[in-house]
Amino acid sequence: MLLTVDMLRIRFGAFSPVDQVTLGVDRGEILGVVGESGSGKSLTATAIMGLLPRIGGQVAGGSIRFDGTDLVDLPESQMRRLRGGRIALITQNPMTSLDPMMRIGPQIDQAARLHLGLGRSAARARSLDLMADLRIPDPASVYDLFPHQLSGGMKQRIVIAMALAGDPELLIADEPTTALDVTVQAQIVQILVDLVRQRGLGLILITHDMGVVAQACDRVAVMYCGRVVELARVDALFEHPRHPYTQALIRCIPRNGMARGTMTAIPGMVPTGMTQPPGCRFNPRCARVESRCRVDIPELLVGPSGNGVACHLAEAA
Amino acid sequence: MIAFTLRRLLLLLPVFFVVSLVVFFIIHLVPGDPIDNLMRAGSTPEQRLQIAAKYGLDRSLVEQYLTWMGRLLTGDLGTSIIQGRPVSTLIAHNMPYSLQLGIAALLFSTLTGIAAGVIAASYQGTRVDDAITGFILLGSTVPSFWLGLLLILVFAVWLGWVPVSGARGWTSLILPVIAAGLGGIALVARVTRIAMIETARQDFVVLLHAKGLPPFLIQLRHVLRHAMVPVVTILGLRIGWVLGGAVTIEYVFARPGLGSLLIRALNQRDYPLVQGCLLMLAMAVIVGALIGDIVQAAMDPRQREARS
Repeated sequence: MLLTVDMLRIRFGAFSPVDQVTLGVDRGEILGVVGESGSGKSLTATAIMGLLPRIGGQVAGGSIRFDGTDLVDLPESQMRRLRGGRIALITQNPMTSLDPMMRIGPQIDQAARLHLGLGRSAARARSLDLMADLRIPDPASVYDLFPHQLSGGMKQRIVIAMALAGDPELLIADEPTTALDVTVQAQIVQILVDLVRQRGLGLILITHDMGVVAQACDRVAVMYCGRVVELARVDALFEHPRHPYTQALIRCIPRNGMARGTMTAIPGMVPTGMTQPPGCRFNPRCARVESRCRVDIPELLVGPSGNGVACHLAEAA
Repeated sequence: MIAFTLRRLLLLLPVFFVVSLVVFFIIHLVPGDPIDNLMRAGSTPEQRLQIAAKYGLDRSLVEQYLTWMGRLLTGDLGTSIIQGRPVSTLIAHNMPYSLQLGIAALLFSTLTGIAAGVIAASYQGTRVDDAITGFILLGSTVPSFWLGLLLILVFAVWLGWVPVSGARGWTSLILPVIAAGLGGIALVARVTRIAMIETARQDFVVLLHAKGLPPFLIQLRHVLRHAMVPVVTILGLRIGWVLGGAVTIEYVFARPGLGSLLIRALNQRDYPLVQGCLLMLAMAVIVGALIGDIVQAAMDPRQREARS
């Protein structure tokens, strides 16, 4: 495994918004991380990037192993060398992810100059190549533009080029298509899939779009309320979802030929903030809730296949 | 950008007109007149009328305004009634002292203020930040004239390091610059700190950190650049203040300058001189704000394009 996150727990003061997060991704593999807003997907990504202290959080337990090194205890100076170098981040909103006062090109150059030690002109040549790879038309003139002169889809390609500039082995894409038009979304997902297949990158694709998961991912981690509730290969997940939450999520995917007014939603709300229910966090919304679900927190049991589920009723499912 | 600048310059004409109206009528509506200051004890009402006629003070206000305006358009600010010298000469004579103090105070307060703001923002929530924030509060509430007196007492009277007053040599500039600059430091530091903290929360800064850039480089090369936009606006407003803002400081340190000139003219109801000084100061503030706007627009590529 390129990256293994094991029983990760994130703490902000006395509050742990993320707990018991276990997942992993290998080279040339795409791991989808799905879940509703507030399920802890982005925080997990922030933890892997080592950027939690910036927003006042910290890793309170578990491990994040990247290529054999535990990132949790890594000194900041060494973490900074990985960040943008071997591990790169693609953020959610391309509109706000670029420095509006700086030209496009130098923003892509930065990581290459920093991590690959390239000079100005070598970094520029590399950026232009990357832009061409990402099918950005006329890279040489885009290089000198300011962010506001580009469309959202183009900006997201620039953000991807920025992530690739340091020649990373692991890419974390945090909802890379959420802010984009539907047609552009498909292009961006395709670009990411191609990158993984051609360059052998590991990709963690955070999304709440089950369609994207089905289309692109090899394996999936389903998160709910800061916990991974199910970990499975993508085909297994869609054919035999084992956690009631996963089952409900899949039922919510709109399908061709659906009659008007038959969209499904999971009843109830995601518990917010510090008002987590006791026991299984999904129990207030679960259709098959039993009495022990309201008391005991189910552990995520990962089998030798790498599939796992955190549900008391999983065996019966 | 050039069109934007030209448009803004053209707008200065109506502003100039309104300012001249306000300046003229404000001073004429204040009770008392310059004649009182010219009369010797025991003068007769006839002599009084004579003097009024000599300076055109017996005519209606509108007439007086039009005469003043007419001369103004030819570049003539008139002649001081009390001192008997051309207003422009008096202003030109006092201006260098004000510029000296104003520019030194502006530079001092801007550089110190930005540095303090950057440090406070970089160490947000720590004791360093608390100390600077406390200083900002102090600096924006302590009146500059009081600070000036305190500085004189300590450094000139007790320690004898610098002259008590006057404008001879650069050492006489130290205390006035500190006294006049303190409020500016507080203001610039506060704006810089808040702008830095707000910019640091933006997505693109997260991504800069994700690239592995050293935090101090991100702060200086990216965050500070954004934070400078509101700071430039404030500096623009303070350029005008360079000329006239240090009135009380000039008074406390008995320095010559536009401020001292204006205060004396006001006390003597020396209409042409008051009008000339006020007009200069008002235009300095307006032009300063304009320079701030133009620089700000030039800094931000989005505005640069929208206003081209």
